[in-house]
Amino acid sequence: MTVFKYFLKIAIKNRWIIIMYVTIFFVMTVLNSNDAVKREESFVESKLNIGIIDNCNSELSNSLKDYLKDENNIVDTVEDEDYIKEQIFLEVADAVVIIPEDFDEKVIRREESVLVYKDDRKPQSIQIENQINKFLAFANITYENGNFALKDVAEALNESVEVHVLPSGEIEGSGINTWFKFYFNFTGYVTIALYIAVIGVVMSDFRDENIDSRRRISSKRFLEFNREIYLGQLTLASAVTITFIIASIIFMRENIWNVYFLKYVVNLIVFSFSILCLTFLINNITRNKHAITALSTVLSLGTSFISGVMVPQEILGDKVLAVAKFFPTYYFVRVNESMINSLSDIGFDIFMQLLFAVAFLLLGLIFSRKDLLVQ
Amino acid sequence: MRMIVKVKNVVKRYSEKIALDHFNMEVYEGEILGLLGPNGCGKTTAINCILSLLSFDKGEIEVFGKKMTPNSYDIKRQIGLVPQEVSVFENLTVRENIDYFCGLYVDDKNVRKRYVDEAIEFVDLKDYVKFYPKKLSGGLKRRLNIACGIVHKPKLIFMDEPTVAVDAQSRNFILEGIKRLNGESSTVVYTTHYLEEAEMLCSRIVIMDNGKDIVSGTTEELKAMITTSEKIVVSFVSIEDSVASLMKGIPHVIDIERNGEDFIIKFENGINNLSNLLSFITEHNLTYTKLYSKLPTLNDVFLELTGKELRD
Repeated sequence: MTVFKYFLKIAIKNRWIIIMYVTIFFVMTVLNSNDAVKREESFVESKLNIGIIDNCNSELSNSLKDYLKDENNIVDTVEDEDYIKEQIFLEVADAVVIIPEDFDEKVIRREESVLVYKDDRKPQSIQIENQINKFLAFANITYENGNFALKDVAEALNESVEVHVLPSGEIEGSGINTWFKFYFNFTGYVTIALYIAVIGVVMSDFRDENIDSRRRISSKRFLEFNREIYLGQLTLASAVTITFIIASIIFMRENIWNVYFLKYVVNLIVFSFSILCLTFLINNITRNKHAITALSTVLSLGTSFISGVMVPQEILGDKVLAVAKFFPTYYFVRVNESMINSLSDIGFDIFMQLLFAVAFLLLGLIFSRKDLLVQ
Repeated sequence: MRMIVKVKNVVKRYSEKIALDHFNMEVYEGEILGLLGPNGCGKTTAINCILSLLSFDKGEIEVFGKKMTPNSYDIKRQIGLVPQEVSVFENLTVRENIDYFCGLYVDDKNVRKRYVDEAIEFVDLKDYVKFYPKKLSGGLKRRLNIACGIVHKPKLIFMDEPTVAVDAQSRNFILEGIKRLNGESSTVVYTTHYLEEAEMLCSRIVIMDNGKDIVSGTTEELKAMITTSEKIVVSFVSIEDSVASLMKGIPHVIDIERNGEDFIIKFENGINNLSNLLSFITEHNLTYTKLYSKLPTLNDVFLELTGKELRD
């Protein structure tokens, strides 16, 4: 097993590549875990700083003002668009509400009845919108015989709702699930980069023309040599895959039963095999270390981006996704993103990844044969 | 002596170019065979064909009495190769490199350890076992290259220009090492374009040019094949042309070249060439400033057989 032993030894001597990618991966994971999990664990509606200008001064507008005053802090403002925008930009006010003179009529006609200045990029903008919409909805419901039942509106608005945050589970968008999606999607990027870079660089040493000549005139049988080389690759790939799986368990050990964890494990193993076959193809195309390193960067970053590792597939364009379908990462991400009840639900995407593995293997064998014929 | 390599009428083409043109060679057990020829004459191609690293278009190759094929593992076990390029792993230390290449032949861990130790001792790299190749000088790298090729104690060793681009000290060390290997009953096929090395080291020489074996034999046999057996260089204080032309009448003189003040007088096989010339000088009352005799070299052999210098 000399070849196997030295394959791993040379791989370990390239440990800086491994350490670099694994560090990037775990730093990203830690950053994400601080964010993704906490993001949806609690719900607090905080008071906003708002300005109100009432040009109507009716019973209805006063009622709206009172409601908004109860829910928020009131800041002084003037009816000057530039001034209001500056207040919002400087975060003196989260929003400014302008009630027009014909407010009551607009509410009755169910037209847009107030003007709200706010920063749409901030979540606070949704909160103020909700409050106004809620008030107007209740007011409209109580409108009868030319009057609003403002007392009923106030009572209805005072009803408090207790919000329970669902802890985890297979609820799409839940924090734990988001964490697993992100974690395993990102293993896709690191797997491609690591396998091509490390296995590719080690193989370029073994396939160096002069070193290979020495192997070819030796009494080591070709099949035995290849068996040890592929065993080395498989060992390295397994070590990387198992590390990622174990690390996910360590990070999320208490929540592991709240997600369909087996889906992620099976998907990563299949994807890992598929990328190992891609590495086999690349190693049969080129022995040039610089080309291999370049391919590692381009393929890992490029395919990860277009397949939805970095950016969700939902916001990628159709043309981008059409291109992504020609690479296993697309199907790998789809499995991670999917909500399933059993493994058979991901059969197609797993099958596609295996199909790519077979295609890479066959192409690799063709190039390998071409190489032998040239010799 | 037993013939252990037989190459018969081997033809190897690269598209239109003929690299080996009905090439023939025989290697006998226990000898150091020099494969001598200018750069690009086909020496490396010949070795690669013998070792089945290259396929060939025509001819026969037998090693240890059997046809050599890429799957002749029992034959390969007895062969070592020291390639022209230093062919080692840059990411492995000296010891690891030697151990890896030994492991391609020897499975037993204890035997391998002994062989590796002996190879390190043989090339005198004891102080560098933990060094990576990039930290070694050119000469030490060459020694490592040799150690990787001979570590499994092969009976037949092919050395492809192992002294290219090394300093004089390392070259002497390598040449001495090859003699020691031969003394330990290894047969060596040594390719070179250095005449002096071939002359000093090889018990038999095959001269090749343009993919063909021109001639083979011991150094003495090769020198005996050419007309010029001796050259005498003499420089006179003064000599008249009429007297100079009379030198052609000295017994066994076949040609005279004039190079400035120097006369290079070529003699065919014969004895007393120098005393015959001295008699001529005395007879014509000539005074000389320089006079020395040169025996033919392999370059003269090559020059006479091919019409060009080996270093062309």
